[in-house]
Amino acid sequence: MSYSIQPNTEDRETGPFFAAAAEGRLVFRVCNDCGHATQPPTEHCPWCGGWNTEWRQAQGRGRLHTWTTVTHQIHPDYPTPFTLVVVELDETPDVRLMGRLDGAPVLTAGQPMEVWFEKLNDDVALPQWRPLGRPV
Amino acid sequence: MSLIDDDMTFAGRDKTAVVGIGQTDFTRNSGRGVLSLATEAALKALADAGLSVEDVDGIVRCGDDVVTPYTLAASLGAKNLTYWADTGPGGVAPCMMMGLAMGAVLSGQAKTVIAFRSLNGRSETRLGAGGQRGVGAEIVGGRGSYDEYFLPYGLMTAGQTFALMTRRHMLEYGTTAEQLGAVAMACRENANRTPHAIMHGKPMSMDDYLASRMISTPLRLFDFCLESDGACAVVITSTERAKDLRKPPVTIRAVAGGAPLDARAGMMFPVVSRHDMTELGGRAAGERLWKRAGVGPSDMSVAQIYDCFTISVILQLEAYGFCGKGEGGAFVESGAIRATGSIPINTGGGHMSEAYVHGMNHIVQAVRQLRGEADMQIPGAELSLVTGGPLPIGSSVVFRKAA
Ligand SMILES: [Zn+2]
Repeated sequence: MSYSIQPNTEDRETGPFFAAAAEGRLVFRVCNDCGHATQPPTEHCPWCGGWNTEWRQAQGRGRLHTWTTVTHQIHPDYPTPFTLVVVELDETPDVRLMGRLDGAPVLTAGQPMEVWFEKLNDDVALPQWRPLGRPV
Repeated sequence: MSLIDDDMTFAGRDKTAVVGIGQTDFTRNSGRGVLSLATEAALKALADAGLSVEDVDGIVRCGDDVVTPYTLAASLGAKNLTYWADTGPGGVAPCMMMGLAMGAVLSGQAKTVIAFRSLNGRSETRLGAGGQRGVGAEIVGGRGSYDEYFLPYGLMTAGQTFALMTRRHMLEYGTTAEQLGAVAMACRENANRTPHAIMHGKPMSMDDYLASRMISTPLRLFDFCLESDGACAVVITSTERAKDLRKPPVTIRAVAGGAPLDARAGMMFPVVSRHDMTELGGRAAGERLWKRAGVGPSDMSVAQIYDCFTISVILQLEAYGFCGKGEGGAFVESGAIRATGSIPINTGGGHMSEAYVHGMNHIVQAVRQLRGEADMQIPGAELSLVTGGPLPIGSSVVFRKAA
């Protein structure tokens, strides 16, 4: 897969997510005071009003929350059909992340998913999700 | 169910009014620039009110517009501009523009405010194609957009985002394709009684709807609004002054915005992380709106519901209290939203079938209904709800036919 659309990995609020991904780790922003997470990540915790937040490593498992199979192509590097998945982390219902599957696989709400890391180039990787135990 | 609450005072209630409305032709290719379109719509709105460009001292706009207030003033020759404001981006803008205009008039910062939206949404900037995305290598996101979490995966459009929301509504409440279709059909029926609507003369059956091609499952082509070229403008002034103008005034009874319970940073895409993906800021907006207006959903004669997608209407009918949570599908299927139903919606065809002027044609249509000037007039219309785009926050207005 070659994408021409690559994430900005140098944003001050989100850069560590991509820095970790480049090392094959999945991280999310969590509040040490109240235990809630923020996604998209913010340094300030809107749940409790504190600032005691940090990046925490996730195990890389989750559950499929919703999905759409895109059949109308709008970008040459993203041939249809492909399926966008939204996966809720097992660690917290506060964080859901995107993933992309080729084609139009049969999926079920709540099915277990696992992360893998798609290298876009030497420095940039995207955390991706696939049904647990199913090869890419 | 009426939620009349006279204890809640809203200083702006019925104190300002829309006194002029104007629009260009709605087309698939205007062949003109957006400034030209905005200027035509504004001049028509002024003429409708019996006012001139010398009267214009305020202009408010949607942050997505290419045309700035000062450029529109320059094009109009409006030399008395002293107030301008920008609501920020998105379909949430038009209703909040009414709030900006109200604030300007009631605080004495301006007497005659134009609110407008102008876009070549088909021939130049197609939102359905993810805006003006290039085909070369591109680094996206950052700077508070949070797009880096979404665009690289191929989530690029509102349609894909609302498809993800629609599936949740189907999973949780059993909402069906036919129920989505009921929204599209109601809008199309109204467009077929509105000669200027883009889809006028193109009747649609449920079979036609179901046969339309999938774009992003479970959403089909006819779950999507139009992409179109055109502009709309309205003129706002004080209700007191409105009484001396050309047309019967339509007052801004109340305006309210509202955030979702579980608001997330960013614009549209981060809705996927909300605990409840089908819960909108429109609920908080509506609760405030009904208190400020002193009326409730059952008091509305008509409603212009922001219809970027069919699901948007269903979610907002729930959020604004026309039906219960999860009941939107059955509600629209009952016929309640049709011209003969309890709450006729999008009486000019809406974004689905009239034109996509990013919420501004809904404001114009509400005013027409309350003046009794609509092509498909709802008899005796006295109150109209208008809602703004459903993401990321909610915005809403109640308009009233002046006594
Ligand atoms: Zn906290």
